[in-house]
Amino acid sequence: MKNSQLYKGSLNTILMKLLEENGKMYGYEITQKVKEITKGELKITEGALYPALHKLEAEGVLEVEVVQVDNRLRKYYKLTEKGSAETVNKLAELEEFIKNMQTIVNPKLSY
Amino acid sequence: MKITPTQIQYLYQFTRQRYVEWYDLQTELVDHLANAIEQKRQENPNITFENALELEFKKFGVFGFMTVVEQRQKALSKKYNSILLRHLKAFFTIPKIIITGLIFLLLYFVFYVCTYTQEIALFICLIIITLVLYKQTKFNKYIKNKEKETHKKWLFEQQIFQYANGVAVINFTSPMVQFTNFLTRKEFIYHHYQILFFALLFTCQILLFYIIYFEIPAKAQSYLEQTYPEYNFETI
Repeated sequence: MKNSQLYKGSLNTILMKLLEENGKMYGYEITQKVKEITKGELKITEGALYPALHKLEAEGVLEVEVVQVDNRLRKYYKLTEKGSAETVNKLAELEEFIKNMQTIVNPKLSY
Repeated sequence: MKITPTQIQYLYQFTRQRYVEWYDLQTELVDHLANAIEQKRQENPNITFENALELEFKKFGVFGFMTVVEQRQKALSKKYNSILLRHLKAFFTIPKIIITGLIFLLLYFVFYVCTYTQEIALFICLIIITLVLYKQTKFNKYIKNKEKETHKKWLFEQQIFQYANGVAVINFTSPMVQFTNFLTRKEFIYHHYQILFFALLFTCQILLFYIIYFEIPAKAQSYLEQTYPEYNFETI
């Protein structure tokens, strides 16, 4: 992940936001989607993505669905009711964070 | 170029060789690798399946699949613990709280007034140890036979049927015997609230033992289906 330390804390929020917009998604699709949206600037590594998804699933934020595609099984993730509610909070938190960072980095903007 | 069924089987084998024992995780990784390889070969038709796989595997970092496996184990034990807690909470609400109350009163009586405290405590421990050994042997056999039959291992199933492998019993019995040993010593002065506290502690431990070895295994099928939607799928 580019500038991984900066993005790390927001990985869950990124995943939840993507799932909120796209309904259900599978792991590989998520990596591709992030790459596409950020035009290759942000790459979610496989070693970070799956642990994050599994953790959110265990917490009841995400639920899974398995579908047979071609000759293999595909595991889809989607937000639970609890997850949808939490996404709203997480996004608000992130926006607040961005706002504060802007104020610190570029104080003129706050006037 | 689409991945062939033989290549899918090869990918399953590839994950197994890299210490991914669990079928659900293998399935997820196989699909991931298959998608990535298909994409790679679309961009570069000259690349072989093996080379594309090697490149994709490298993306998982120096530890390969290890991080994913470890984190998955952590996530599932967290899930198991939350199920355990939910079952335990049920014993503190109506109607099950009546059972809890009876166990508590019985233990309190044994600890406080009964002359044969230690004998009774030892007897309770003996019953529990026998039951656990019996259950554990039965569960181990069940898991082994199932794995032989289906060639699949499910992490959560193992967690349900082989929880702590009897460690829970030692945790339970050892303080109980020690505590009753204290009580029977005439020179030891104890406070009333200490007996209350221990009676409550042992009540919880008896309940936990019952939940781990009886309640949760009885509901295993529904918990597994909820965790693994692919649990009832035919092997492909």
